[in-house]
Amino acid sequence: MLLVLSEEHKEHLSFLPQVDAAVVGEFGRIALEFLRRGTSPKIYEGAARKLGVSVEMVQHGVEGLMFLMTESSKHMISEVDFLDSVLVLGFSEELNQILLQLYLQHHAHIRSILSQLPSNQPAYHNLEWRLDVQLASRAVRQQVVPMLTLRLLLSGVGDGVCARRGKVLQTDPSTLLHLISTLEAALAAMKSSHARRIFRNIK
Amino acid sequence: MRFRFCGDLDCPDWVLAEISTLAKLSSVKMKLLCAQVLKDLLGEGIDYDKVTKLTADAKFESGDVKATVAVLNFIFSSAAKHDVDSESLSSELQQLGLPKEHTTGLCKSYEDKHYALQGKLRETSLRLGRLESVSWRIDYTLSSSELREVNEPLIQLKLQSQGAESGSTETTVVSVSADKFRVLLAELKQAQIRMNALQ
Repeated sequence: MLLVLSEEHKEHLSFLPQVDAAVVGEFGRIALEFLRRGTSPKIYEGAARKLGVSVEMVQHGVEGLMFLMTESSKHMISEVDFLDSVLVLGFSEELNQILLQLYLQHHAHIRSILSQLPSNQPAYHNLEWRLDVQLASRAVRQQVVPMLTLRLLLSGVGDGVCARRGKVLQTDPSTLLHLISTLEAALAAMKSSHARRIFRNIK
Repeated sequence: MRFRFCGDLDCPDWVLAEISTLAKLSSVKMKLLCAQVLKDLLGEGIDYDKVTKLTADAKFESGDVKATVAVLNFIFSSAAKHDVDSESLSSELQQLGLPKEHTTGLCKSYEDKHYALQGKLRETSLRLGRLESVSWRIDYTLSSSELREVNEPLIQLKLQSQGAESGSTETTVVSVSADKFRVLLAELKQAQIRMNALQ
């Protein structure tokens, strides 16, 4: 599929042929840093001073380049389609090749960054357990009550992988057996013919 | 095939795959690598520079280095978990294809640190809300706004414990009257007698 670039986008990118190839590579690096960490106005000011153009033009150029990269990575367009989309801008062959190289080198990385953007449900991280036997309590002596204590660790919502929240649960052996059989039934459902038909079609 | 060191289950596929990577190291280097991994399991931290130097001869890439550390980690912790003696571990590893010199080195390191490893694993087992410290103070109430002469002792107990869900220190302060405290002490002594009977 071809990317359709808006007029404003094309105008921003028209700054790129005015500078030489090394600078375009530098802009590419800045654009990727922008994706990873955000950017600071100092970088734009420094570049604008060195090239003798306004800060706004540099900023538009970098942002336009970044948008081009993210849109291309998002749709996973092939080399040919990328070149065709960029052809619309009327750049030189050399510039097109530089942009293509930038895209090929980084599209996997960009996709992994983009995939982290939508907020996640808390996800399973780890399960710790201990098996205890209650022998006596204040009210009743001479008991034998087996008990399983679980701590379910989840990776946090929206905090990325760093935050951990633990939920403490307790269960007796019969509930545990029921839990195990339910989970095994869920795993077995993946192997049913209905599920297999769907997986084949997704592939 | 069931293996004791995997808890009488099948050996995971990735362990089988990485055992062949382990075989590429010389047995001397592998023994030093085992020592590093054991240090990490005992909580003393691992020196990644030494590990990279040890694996540099066999030209391991970073993925291979991580895999070797992971597989040694798994073998040691799993064998300690299921209380496997070193002869069984040795025969099972040889069945999986680890050469004899490597197996002997690995099992010797395992045998040396066997008890220390189990002790460390026991410490890190799940425990909810550990009691960290207890402090107390006895006050004597002379009078109050309700009654002019009260003349009663009162105990203030401060318990520092680790929160069950949060894991950070929580402080609980309780004040207990003399009678209630006597009941509390009697019950705790009974619980202690039962605990000692178990040992």
